[in-house]
Amino acid sequence: MKKSLYLSLLACASLYATVDENATQVELQKQKAAIQKLQTQLDMLSQKSQGTLNTSASFSQNAYLPDIALILNMSAVARDVNNTAYENMAIPGFIDAGDAELPFNKNRGFNLNYAEVAMHSSVDPYFDVFAMFHLHPNAFEIGEAYVQTTSLPYALRIKAGKFKSDFGRMNAKHQHAWHFDDQPIIYKALFGPDSISDAGVQLQWVAPTDTYIMAGVEAMQGSNDRSFGDVERNNLYVGYMKSSVDVGDELSILAGVSLAHGKNTTTNATDVYGVDLTLREQLGAYSSLIWQSEYLQRNKVVDGSVKTHTNKQAGLYTELVYQYNNNYSGGVRYDAITKNDVDLSAYNGVNTNNLDKYTAMLEYKPFPMSRLRLSYSYDRTKVIAGERKDINTVMLSLNIAAGAHGAHDY
Amino acid sequence: MKKIILLTVLLTTLVFAQLNVDTTYSTLGAVAKKIGGDNVKVVVLGSPKYDPHFIVPKPSLLSKLRRADLLIINGGGLELGWLPPLLRNANNAKIRNGAKGFLDMSHFVPMIDVPTSVSRAFGDVHAQGNPHYSTDPHNVLIMAEAIAKKLAQIDPEHEAQYQKNLADFTKEWQAYLTKYDANMQMCQTKKVVQYHELFNYFLKRYNIKSYGNIEPLPGIAPSSRHTLALIQIMRENGVKTILQDVYHERKTAKFIADKTDARVAIIPHDLGAEGSQTLQEFYNKIANRICK
Ligand SMILES: [Zn+2]
Repeated sequence: MKKSLYLSLLACASLYATVDENATQVELQKQKAAIQKLQTQLDMLSQKSQGTLNTSASFSQNAYLPDIALILNMSAVARDVNNTAYENMAIPGFIDAGDAELPFNKNRGFNLNYAEVAMHSSVDPYFDVFAMFHLHPNAFEIGEAYVQTTSLPYALRIKAGKFKSDFGRMNAKHQHAWHFDDQPIIYKALFGPDSISDAGVQLQWVAPTDTYIMAGVEAMQGSNDRSFGDVERNNLYVGYMKSSVDVGDELSILAGVSLAHGKNTTTNATDVYGVDLTLREQLGAYSSLIWQSEYLQRNKVVDGSVKTHTNKQAGLYTELVYQYNNNYSGGVRYDAITKNDVDLSAYNGVNTNNLDKYTAMLEYKPFPMSRLRLSYSYDRTKVIAGERKDINTVMLSLNIAAGAHGAHDY
Repeated sequence: MKKIILLTVLLTTLVFAQLNVDTTYSTLGAVAKKIGGDNVKVVVLGSPKYDPHFIVPKPSLLSKLRRADLLIINGGGLELGWLPPLLRNANNAKIRNGAKGFLDMSHFVPMIDVPTSVSRAFGDVHAQGNPHYSTDPHNVLIMAEAIAKKLAQIDPEHEAQYQKNLADFTKEWQAYLTKYDANMQMCQTKKVVQYHELFNYFLKRYNIKSYGNIEPLPGIAPSSRHTLALIQIMRENGVKTILQDVYHERKTAKFIADKTDARVAIIPHDLGAEGSQTLQEFYNKIANRICK
């Protein structure tokens, strides 16, 4: 009896257990289905919101790398004076013999002018940072490195660091952005190859008008000793105004006036005035005619034997560039020194009048990022070894821009 | 008398204080006008006559950007070749990249033709995918919605008006699309080649197959070798329609047409490129010229 009771109890228990187990299993199935349903819903949701799973490296910061461009500039040059003579050339009244800086296309034969690394990045919502590192064969140079505001009110913008001044039309442009390989004579004569490029601050403002009007002021170190160069303190102040109007759909005109006031010694002042005018007529989607001219005058106070006096010198360039299509363009430029009221007694017996230069170029861009340019120049501004020497130069230059897209210039 | 005039002028400017909305291209501008109505003054920066990749960065564009309350760009890299320096030099904090008054429309349109690998060795490719989405009339509603939302955000006072404009326009456009799609059902043209991949969104929408481009690589001028290869492909596949945009040279297209007995169809890529005044005229012109 006891045994049977035990047995029945056992049977009961096991029966209960099976029933219980069954119930649990059903419950489990239900729960599994519910979880599966949730899972698919979750998957769908995450697909909608995220697309794919994040598979990037855990600490990767690639997305924050600055935009980087690499620019290479090189040339092959044929010139009818030898390299030593060319290095020792003078421009009467402006550059003394042997005093010229010649970073571009100096040698007959082949030149690697520079490799430039240009970088740009946003720092935060309020600043952008720019840097152009110039690597010459034997020198590393910080061409420009500056921060610029992006969020000031009233269309104001401040730039600080080392930068190219917005004086005139050409000053701020880098060599590879010029229409011709050579710098205009008047720029070279007054400022040297880097133009006005210095440490300082800049403030610019765009007027809220239909017509484009921009005004800017800059305070710079003034280390450029061709025109300034007071070494005791910052001495250069630059101001300019630029305006542009469109005449119809195709013609646009840009004009500017500029002034640079600095000190060439602790006491002697230099003033440079500039006016510029650019006309651009759009002839088609890829075809245009650009006529660009600039006139610069420098009044430089220098010590005389008895008292100081003011040297007045001026020059201009005017260039016409015809863009035929995406691949081809051509242009001519005329350069002239128009005023040279300085002591030229060092050039006794040398004709120092009519200093001018003629340049013609043909450009071929096989692809948007590469440019071949053939140019010829007849330079009548140079004195070599005490004699006026007119220089003929034929040059083929190659410019390559790789990496981040530099937007097209006006 | 003078005082009264001054007062009226002042009052009218106060009453009709419009938002300045700049758009980089004309189709975007037309949609913005539909949604913004009288509350906005729309300025289109890039002329539809020219290549949208290379709008001439005239300084006059700076004064337009300077006064904008909202800038709507196409995005997808289409403005990369001309807009960034203008934007920097216009000194307008309201519309800088990331500000409230900056709207990149490509963030709302599903992009096609996104390349898996990018190198300039393949030409000037669009690294973020094909940005020429505005040739598909179905994308107009996406633009309209994004613009309505953005306008409400920067001008909440007129939110109801923008919502109403959006509702009205959506109704109008959906009716137009129904008719448009029905018409496209009857389109005889099923095979085309094009100069640049300007019309891929349209072609994909209406199951028209593109067999190649006149440019050998994006942004690169035609070469004779590539042109001959394209002629061969067109002959083998019986392609009889060449889609030519308004701004590239037409010599190559004509040459190919002569060799393949095909037809050169000049297709506008943006509103106004071939004389269209309204959005409907623009899309009608695309359909009519492709399907003729
Ligand atoms: Zn494109």
